[in-house]
Formats: sequence, structure tokens, C-alpha cells
Amino acid sequence: MTDFKINVGALRSRRKDVEPERIKAVDRVSEDLGFTSREASAKRGRKPSPRTGQVHAKVFPNVAAEIADEARRRGVQQGVIIEEAWALYKEKSGV
Amino acid sequence: MPTVVIASPKGGAGKSTTAVILGTEFAHAGANVTMMDCDPNGSLTLWSERGTLPERIEVVSGLREGEIIRAIKAHDQDGRIVVVDLEGVASRLVSRAISQADLVIIPMRATTLDATIGVRALQLIEEEAEALERDIPHAVVFTMTRAIQSKQHKGIVGSLKEQGVDVIEPELMERAAFSALFEFGGDLYSMPGQGNADKAIENAQGFAKAVFARLAGEQGA
Repeated sequence: MTDFKINVGALRSRRKDVEPERIKAVDRVSEDLGFTSREASAKRGRKPSPRTGQVHAKVFPNVAAEIADEARRRGVQQGVIIEEAWALYKEKSGV
Repeated sequence: MPTVVIASPKGGAGKSTTAVILGTEFAHAGANVTMMDCDPNGSLTLWSERGTLPERIEVVSGLREGEIIRAIKAHDQDGRIVVVDLEGVASRLVSRAISQADLVIIPMRATTLDATIGVRALQLIEEEAEALERDIPHAVVFTMTRAIQSKQHKGIVGSLKEQGVDVIEPELMERAAFSALFEFGGDLYSMPGQGNADKAIENAQGFAKAVFARLAGEQGA
């Protein structure tokens, strides 16, 4: 059995390439040889809305229609109109 | 400190066994070693959990392609030898790890199939070296070999050497003690006697010395 001892001082590390453009170059040549990413890409589709609260309001039909029309015109959900209305109410009443 | 990457797109070539033998022999010889498990099968992690981890060894598990470069950079600056065990597939994780290597070891069984697929790793290293405009030292080690070499084995070794490929000697022979590393964990010195333990240790030390010589620049391709 040989006596193997390591002199750590004899070891040298080489320059490592970590710049993004160098890594891209490595990815390019490796893809050409079939060494492609095997990890799942980021989740596709619409991100879940942070608006998780609900209000349960019965209003007169004309108010419901006007809120719906305004939301459609602006391209937002009806909840956004209600949030803005609530913000105005708080400002006005000092809540 | 240097980074040794164990790579082959061929599964079952002996990557994890090579990594454990190299890491434990380096640690036994006095070096601090970080072993990085980049194989989704987690062979290194399983080994590390089987028994008491030998002194001077740290195991980092579950590295993904987006993390491997940062992880190697973080560990090869603090006086440690880094040994990276990769998955047995052609992937971006493999190519990125190779780009950070001071030495790439390609374990290969002495069969035509292993040699054919192993050559893909050699091609990848060549292409990456060209893209990075620097040499990436690499060497092949034959694994699970027998004392009497077949004609096929001799032919493959001869063909690689003719093409200027660095072939590490001694080869890692088929030994009960090497496969038992994954049964008992630890290293060849701590496990209960398996087959001819002295011969296994001699083989492992000879291999580690040959790798160390390449890292120290004492022996090139």
C-alpha cells in the first residue's frame, strides 16, 4: 500500500469563466451537440391575482350595469372600480 | 483550489463510484474536499447518508443548472478540492459544470457502447474549450475492469491513446469494496472487510495519485 499525502500548496486553480456572455457561448455549443436544458421552464400562463378578498353586494340593477360598463370600458375587473370607490369614500369620510 | 468534474452522458459508467473514491482518497490524504451531487438520482447524497462522513469532506446536494457555476465558484476559493458528480445524460448542467473544470474525468467501461457515448463528452469538452478560448484538461478512466483485459478493452484503449486522449492509469478495477462504498458509506478504511481490501485501497490510492499529478501539473495529457 502506498503512502499518499497531499500537498495542497502544489495545487493550482485555473481562471474560471463566469461572465454571462461566456456562459451563453458554452450553452450555444453544447446545444449543438445535444446537451440541452432538461429542467422544467418557468410556469406558463396567467399569474394568480393577489385580489383574493370578496364583497357580496346587492345593488340596484342600474348601478350594477354602470359598474360593469365602466369596468369593461377601462379593461379592468369590477373589483378595481369598487376599490377606487372605497378609496374615495375613505378620503372623503376620513376613515 | 481545483475543480474536478466527473462527466459522461452514459449512465452506469461509474461516475459516482469514481467521485466517491477520488473524494475520499483526497480527504484521507489530507485535503479538504467538497463533493457536489448534481445527479437527480442523488447517488453521492445516498452514500453520504449511509455512514459517517469521513473527515474533511463536505457534500453539497441538489444543484441545478442555474446554480452550478455560482456553487463551484463559491467552493473553489476556500482551500478545498471540489469534486463534481454529474448526471448520466447530455444536459446543460453537464456542459456548464465542464466549463468550470480544472480537470474533467470521463469514466468509461471498456465496452464499445460506453466508448461511443463517452466520445460525446470528449467532443463537448473540445467545443467548449474553443468557445472559452482556453484548454480544458481531461482524461478518461476505465472503470469496472478485470485483471485480464479483453481484445475489445485493449482496442478501445489503443484507439483513444492514438487520438491523443489522456487515459488514467491505474484503471478502477471491479472490486467488491468499491461497490460496498454505497452500502456502508464512509471510505475504504472505515468499512468492514470486503474482498481484497488492501488491493482495493492500493487501486484507489494509485488512481487518486494519478489524478493529483494532473491537477498539480506533474503529468499532462
